[in-house]
Order: sequence, then C-alpha cells, then structure tokens
Amino acid sequence: MGLRDILNEEIIDLSLKGTTKDEVLHELAGHLHSAGYIADVEEFVKDIYVREEEGITGMGNHIAIPHGKSSSVTRIGIAIGRTENEIEWESYDGQPVNLIFLFCVSDDSDFARNHMMLLAELAGKLGNDARVEMLQKVETKESLIEVLTSEEVEAAENSVADAEEFDESLISF
Amino acid sequence: MSLKIVGITACTAGIAHTYIVAEKIATAAQEAGHQCKMETQGTIGRQNELTAQDIAECDVVIVAHDIKVGGMERFAGKPVVDIPISTAMKSPKSLIATIEKKLNKK
Repeated sequence: MGLRDILNEEIIDLSLKGTTKDEVLHELAGHLHSAGYIADVEEFVKDIYVREEEGITGMGNHIAIPHGKSSSVTRIGIAIGRTENEIEWESYDGQPVNLIFLFCVSDDSDFARNHMMLLAELAGKLGNDARVEMLQKVETKESLIEVLTSEEVEAAENSVADAEEFDESLISF
Repeated sequence: MSLKIVGITACTAGIAHTYIVAEKIATAAQEAGHQCKMETQGTIGRQNELTAQDIAECDVVIVAHDIKVGGMERFAGKPVVDIPISTAMKSPKSLIATIEKKLNKK
C-alpha cells in the first residue's frame, strides 16, 4: 500500500465555492459524506472545531490542515480543496489560506493504523515549501496527486523558508 | 562545519504538525549541509526512532514539542534545543543557522 491509496479524486475539489472557513469546511465534509468517509456532516464539522480550538492549523504559505478526529469517521482519508478566493484562517504567517487539507481520522487511534501511517507520511510532504508552491499551480486532480506522491521536488532555491526570525535566546548552550 | 543533528517532534493531536515540522527541520538542516534524523512521536507511536548510535554521534538535539516527549534521558550530556512546535514551524532555517552560530562559539 502506498500514498496513492489514501488519495481519492472523489474527495479532491480544486474549485471550492465557499468564501468562509465554515463554508469551506462544510463543503469538504459534504464531499467526505458523499464518498462514504463519514456518517454525519454536522457531527464531523463539530469535531473539527474542537481541534481548531486547541491551536493553529494555518501552516503558512496559504495552507490549512484542519483535522477531523471524529467518531463519525468510517474511513480514513484526506479531503483536499482549493478555493478561488483567499479564506480568513488563523495561521502561523498571518496570511489567509486557499489550499485546505482536511484530515479525516477516527477518534479510535487503533482504527486503520496502516492508513494513519500513510497520512503521517503525506503530512510530511507538506513540510516542503517547494512542493507546496507546485501544489498551488496544479490544474488537475491528477497532477495534484502526482506532486503529493513524488519522492523529490526540485527546489528553485531552498525548500523551506521562515515566516519569522528564530529567537536566539531560546538556545541556552 | 557539517553537523550531525537529531531530534524529536510531538504535537498535541499527533496527526499532522508532528510530521510537517520534522520534515521542515530535516530539510532546512540538509540544505545547510548537515546530517539530520528526526524521530516523530504521534498517534501512531514513534517512527524513525533514534538509535543509541545516532545519539552518541550527534552534535546537537532539537526537541520541538507541545506535549511531553518520551525518552529525553537518552540525550544526557548533549546540547538540547527545546522549543515549541510553532517556533520550529515558523523558523526552521534560522533555527539551524542559530545552532551553527552557537556551537561555533563554544
């Protein structure tokens, strides 16, 4: 089993219509429901907000990674959406987002462990800014999956950039 | 000077931040010419677990976490950078650059 096995075109939408965080979350949750990943849209969205309360899910670079850790999840996956307009979202770089990766995971941590491992691997891919830049440019779901699953990405300069300067006083040695 | 860096990441939910930050630190370190191995402690447990040899050979340890991490005793005697997940998320490059500077001064 590989990364492609948790990516599903049915739950990827490169033309989300929502203009607010709430609309976008409902839209993506709707896709998850139609594709048989969750039992109930409202219950799932409610559980996403529980996680949102705990900390920031806007990663910077216009990407958000809300997590739906919910008992209404029946199949592990990740809904991916891109919006035409930027959406207000609490983020590490203070910028709005337009690319949303909604993690759809069970609240039972032993459920579908092999899928959870693939999700972890996929999350790691989002730590590379060069890859994220490519994701912003893709035009089809197929090429989005291609960029997400590729081993290496060519970086024009560096593959990571800082949103702010590191505070030297945090190192005591 | 090429450094050997090891570290651990652990976020509250253990689903996404842990893995993204591990990748950011490793990428920033490698692009600055260092070796780096990051252990992740998430909902699926420890992955890419550091070996006794990894730790014995390392010059510095980076622990980026929002929850308690397991196995800190493994790093006794090593310089440890202990920071929140958010700091590593926002400043991976200057984190590495600062470590280089501080280790050079020692």
